Amino acid sequence: MSPDLSTPQPPSKRKLAVTTAIALAVAVVLLATVVLPAEYGLDPLHTGAMLGLTALSVPPAAKAVSIPPEATEFKPVQDGPIGYYNAAYKVDSAELKLGPYEYLEYKYRMEKDASMLFSWSASAAVAHDFHGDPGTGKGSEHSYDKKDRQSSSGTLVAPFAGMHGWYWENPSGETITISLKSAGFYSSAMEFRSDRTRRAHELTSLKSSPETGRNESK
Amino acid sequence: MTRRTSIVTALALAFSVSVPLLAHDDYRVIGIVTKVQASKLDVKSKAGKNYSIKLNKETFVNRAKKKVGASELKAGQSVVVDATGDSQDDLLALEVRIVPAIVPSTAK
Repeated sequence: MSPDLSTPQPPSKRKLAVTTAIALAVAVVLLATVVLPAEYGLDPLHTGAMLGLTALSVPPAAKAVSIPPEATEFKPVQDGPIGYYNAAYKVDSAELKLGPYEYLEYKYRMEKDASMLFSWSASAAVAHDFHGDPGTGKGSEHSYDKKDRQSSSGTLVAPFAGMHGWYWENPSGETITISLKSAGFYSSAMEFRSDRTRRAHELTSLKSSPETGRNESK
Repeated sequence: MTRRTSIVTALALAFSVSVPLLAHDDYRVIGIVTKVQASKLDVKSKAGKNYSIKLNKETFVNRAKKKVGASELKAGQSVVVDATGDSQDDLLALEVRIVPAIVPSTAK
């Protein structure tokens, strides 16, 4: 007897309809019991809670990483190119009049590795020495930039703890005005003048606004 | 006197001489010469205070950064004096700059 090589008969329309209906029903059950709870947090049949699927729909909470505990308000902890502090930086601005042949020093107290950025300009060229003083006695100052200038902008990373800032001298017989703006992790600012007067300058702190998340001047 | 005593005495002497020198402060006096003497210069500052400042052989007197003799100092000249001393009443001039007449300041 030879095998039956005739074309198989297609399923009947009724059988197709029943199979499709069963597939749809399984899909709907899976949608309601698994997909909706796991993907969207919708759990109409409470199967998601039973199977622990609803937790999958919750986005992972942002994990706040605290700054290194060794960081202080004025002394950073370095992590690669970033120096971390535990408080916001301060800002300062000053307009300084320099009478004929007078000089003054304007300096910030900074810890080692603390940073600052600055811009200053003068109404005429001045003798200038950007320097640091660790306070270990006369002659302990270190010059960073000693040139006659009329303006300068830059950044400083304090190479040692101490007072860091500028000596400006008016070489002319007319009054010169110097405008300085800076921001940095310094703790105080002092002005020393050639008439031996000295004056502390109040620094402006930044306070983070919880509403905007932006830093605003106090 | 033993050798040790000599060393201690020398060190004490050096210390007693060097400490007052190190303790000196720097002063800048900007004003008009009111009187010149061989070893003393009287200057009235812009603030109106009178200073009597000692001169010695080491005092560098200059005009436009060029050294000139102390005899160039005359009453009525504007000068910038960098001096050292224990107080404003005990100053020794390190440098005296003769400068053009000072424009009245509105500083500070």
